[in-house]
Amino acid sequence: MSNQTAIPDHIPQDLVRDFSFWTAPDMAPTPGGDPHLALSELHNGPRIFYAPNNTRDGQGTWVLTRLEDMREVLQDSDSFSSYRSIFSSAIGESWPLIPLEIDPPDHTAFRSMLNPLLSPKRMAALDHSVRQRAIDLIETFKDDGHCEVMSQFAFPYAVSIFLEFLGLPQEDMPKFLNWANSLLHPKTPDERTKAAHEVIEFLDDLAAFRRKTPGDDFVTYVVQAKVKGRHLTDLEVRGMNILIFIAGLDTVAAGIGFDLSYLARHPKDQKTLRDDPKVIRKAIEELLRAFSTVQMIRTARKDMEFAGVQIKKGDLMSCASQIGNRDPNEFPDPNRIDFTRNANRHMAFAYGVHRCLGSHLARRELISSLEEWHRLIPEYRVKEGCPPVAHGGFVFGVKSLELVWD
Amino acid sequence: MTAITIMVEPGKCQGHARCYSFAPEIFDLDDEGYIALEKIIVSGEDEELAREAVEACPENALKIVGE
Ligand code: HEM
Ligand code: SF4
Repeated sequence: MSNQTAIPDHIPQDLVRDFSFWTAPDMAPTPGGDPHLALSELHNGPRIFYAPNNTRDGQGTWVLTRLEDMREVLQDSDSFSSYRSIFSSAIGESWPLIPLEIDPPDHTAFRSMLNPLLSPKRMAALDHSVRQRAIDLIETFKDDGHCEVMSQFAFPYAVSIFLEFLGLPQEDMPKFLNWANSLLHPKTPDERTKAAHEVIEFLDDLAAFRRKTPGDDFVTYVVQAKVKGRHLTDLEVRGMNILIFIAGLDTVAAGIGFDLSYLARHPKDQKTLRDDPKVIRKAIEELLRAFSTVQMIRTARKDMEFAGVQIKKGDLMSCASQIGNRDPNEFPDPNRIDFTRNANRHMAFAYGVHRCLGSHLARRELISSLEEWHRLIPEYRVKEGCPPVAHGGFVFGVKSLELVWD
Repeated sequence: MTAITIMVEPGKCQGHARCYSFAPEIFDLDDEGYIALEKIIVSGEDEELAREAVEACPENALKIVGE
C-alpha cells in the first residue's frame, strides 16, 4: 500500500476519505470482527466519496454507498466498463478473464454461449450430487462434536463441486485446495505468482486434453463451442477456465462461513432453519444480502456527472455489494437479519449484464449445505475462547470458524 | 375473480431467476435462463405470490400495470 497515487484535480477535497477495503475497521482478519457492520457506518456519510488508495495496487476509486446508484452504474455498461486484466497482470501478462473483464458486444456473445450451462434448470439437475458432497463431508466430522468450518467443510465443498463441474477426479482436491489457498491468501506475492502459473499450466493442459478426448464437462463444452461463428482461442479458453475456478471458490466458502457463523450465534434463527427447512430458501437470500462478499469495480468511459459529483473518463467506481446491501434507503433496518424480509432486491450477485453467471449453482450449493448441515448436526455454537475470524478485502471472507455441538 | 397484469421491461431481465424461484409455472425462463415472456396475466390465488416475485426482481424488470 505504499505507492499512493496523487489525488486528481477534479476530486473535491471534502469528498476525499481515508478509506480502503483493507484498512477500514474490521477489514484485517479480526477475531469476533464484523466487517459488514463496520462498513454500514458509511451510510451516515456522503452518498459518494473518493478513497485515494483503494485497490490492491494502490489506485484511487470513487466509493458509492447507495444501492440505487450502484444499480445504475452496473446496469449501464455503455458508460461504465468492466475491461481490466487483474488476474493476468499479477503475473505480468494482460488477458481478460471471460466474461468478467470484457464488455458488450463481446461480453454478450460469450455470455450467450455460457448461460445454458449454468441456467437454473440445468443446475436443478445437479442437486443430487451437490447435496451428496455436503453429506459426505459432514459425515467426516459429525461424530467428533466439533469442526473448523472453513478448512473441513466450506472450502473442500466448493472445490469438490468445481472439480465435478470440470470433469476432474476428486483426487485432485489437495492440489486445488493448495492453489486456492496460495491465490487467495498468499503469504508472499511470490507464492501467489507461482500458484497462478501452476493453475494456468494445469488448466491449459486440461483444455488441450479435452480438445483430443472430449468428455461431458465444462472444459469440453468450452473448447468445442463457437462464438461469433468461430472456435475460441487458447487464451479465451484459459480466461474462462481460470475464472470458473476463482469465481466460485472463496465466494461460496465465505457464504457458508458467514452464514454458519451468524447462525451459531443466533440460536433462535438456527432453530427456525432446523425445524422448518422450507425457510432456508428465503433465508439464503437474506443471508446473501447481509453478508455479501464481492466488490465490483467499473471504469468511467467518459466525463459525466454522477450522484452529484463530476466524474472523469478513466475514474474507477467501486460498487461494493457489502455496502449497497446495507443501504437503509433500500432495506429498512438493514443490520437486522430477517428471514421473512420481502422485496429483497439485493445485489449479492451484482446487477446488469455481468450478473453472476454462477448464481444458480451458488444458490444450490448454499441451500444444500445449510439443509444437510441442519439435518445432520444438532444444535451448534461457537467454541468457547475461539471467536470467529472474519476479514474484508477485495472479497470478504471467514478465516476460521470453530463450532461445537453435543 | 381479480387479475393482475405484469409487464416485462424489454432488455432489463438479467436472468437472476428470483421470479422463477417464487413461481416457476408463472415466470417461465428460456434455455439461457432469461424470462421468456413479455406480458403475464395472473389471477386468483397466485396473485400474492406473483406480487412477491415482482418485488424481488433485482433489476426492476417486472412491473404490475393493470389490476
Ligand atoms: C455465493 C457465491 C457467489 C457470489 C456472492 C458471487 C458473486 C458474483 C458477483 C457479484 C459477480 C459480478 C462481478 C462483476 O460484475 O464485476 C459475479 C460474476 C461471476 N461469477 Fe459469481 N459469485 C458466486 C459464486 C459463483 C460460482 C459458484 C461461480 C461458478 C460457476 C461463479 C461464476 C461467476 C462468473 C463466471 C462471473 C462473471 C460473469 C460475467 O462477467 O458476465 N460465481 N459473481
Ligand atoms: S427476477 Fe427479474 S431479472 Fe430475474 S429472471 Fe426474473 S425477471 Fe429476469
